[in-house]
Amino acid sequence: MKTLHVDADTWMHRLSPRLKLLALATLGLLLFLTHSIPVLACANLGGAALYFRSGLPVAEALRRLRPILISITVLAIFAALVGPLHAAIVTALRLTALALFAATVTATTSMAALIDEITALAMPLEKLGLLKAADIGLAVGLVIRFVPEILDRYRAIREAHQARGIKVRLATTLAPLIILTLRDADNIAAAIDARGIRRQ
Amino acid sequence: MDIRFENAGVDYGSRTALVPLNLTLQERRIGVIGLNGSGKTTFARLINGLVKPTSGRVVVDGLDTVGDAAEVLGKVGYIFQSPQNQIILPIVRDDIAFGLKARGFDKAQIEAAVEGILGRFGVGHLGARRAHELSGGELQMAALCSVLVTGPDILILDEPTNQLDLKNRALVQRTMATLPENVIVISHDLPLLEDFERVLLFDQGRLVADAPAAEAIARYREMAG
Repeated sequence: MKTLHVDADTWMHRLSPRLKLLALATLGLLLFLTHSIPVLACANLGGAALYFRSGLPVAEALRRLRPILISITVLAIFAALVGPLHAAIVTALRLTALALFAATVTATTSMAALIDEITALAMPLEKLGLLKAADIGLAVGLVIRFVPEILDRYRAIREAHQARGIKVRLATTLAPLIILTLRDADNIAAAIDARGIRRQ
Repeated sequence: MDIRFENAGVDYGSRTALVPLNLTLQERRIGVIGLNGSGKTTFARLINGLVKPTSGRVVVDGLDTVGDAAEVLGKVGYIFQSPQNQIILPIVRDDIAFGLKARGFDKAQIEAAVEGILGRFGVGHLGARRAHELSGGELQMAALCSVLVTGPDILILDEPTNQLDLKNRALVQRTMATLPENVIVISHDLPLLEDFERVLLFDQGRLVADAPAAEAIARYREMAG
């Protein structure tokens, strides 16, 4: 149960979680409304400035971004191969900016506060009878909680490969990773039920 | 405590995990032992309704574990083999509070209850800690607090000393000995159960011994060779 939250006291930590979530949603929308490379580049600079001031050491901050940046790079290369270069650059810049802003919010907001706020923000939907607000908060919280666990599990599988002298390949790591993740998900679901967290 | 298994059994498809059994549990300290895959965990999970019987029923203090599932979950606390899977929020204090929030407690009640449970076990210093930084024994204590804060009458511990070093094992054993709650412990750690009032031995889904600790443990040693 590692956390992506950084235990620090920056001005971003002190901001209301609700404000941060609403700002993230608004920025997300705005980023998808523009196709201007200079505007998106500025958004990236802004996002990076915020993220690297969230209290994380630079090396750790970069390490956390690596998987998402690799995914965005792969996506951008694919987009460049099948479409115009401009569109590929726009996609890459847009997603990178979004990732930076989202990483800043998760680094500066405790999971408890995040779950509380998402639950509160989903409450109007519960009043309309569409869903249970607490379930939405819990689901988002669990997704964030799982990210470091999945990465840890991947590292353990990779080390097991190396210890046995087996080359690390996606084909041989993906299946055990999925199986282990699903098994843990079952255990966590049982724990949630046993603790009565979804009883309300 | 009054737990009744009324011809309760569990099948997973064609595989029988627990052969139907009739049993009444009333002792304060009950141990459950047996080889891996013998049905111990299925038996324990029937008690808090995490597993539904495919035949018969289980009744806990007059409540049916299927029909009164929510009430049974409130009455029976469960600590899993891997406490790290049980702790949902990264900060211990937040995690303990989480179960209370779900039950609709207000902020002041939650704070009082969290402080109360941390104080009860003398682990107030763990409140602000991150769960992934805790030792195995501290993690068990955090899991114990998160379960007992909701006030269950019965506590089930599944392999509570699994993978603990001697120091942490002793901590868990001492803590268990002081719990006023009724306790059911599944364990391969036989010395942990030596002073229990009753120990149940399972083998291939069957209850094969139901006796005072010394007798059941001796039978288990004999069975395991």
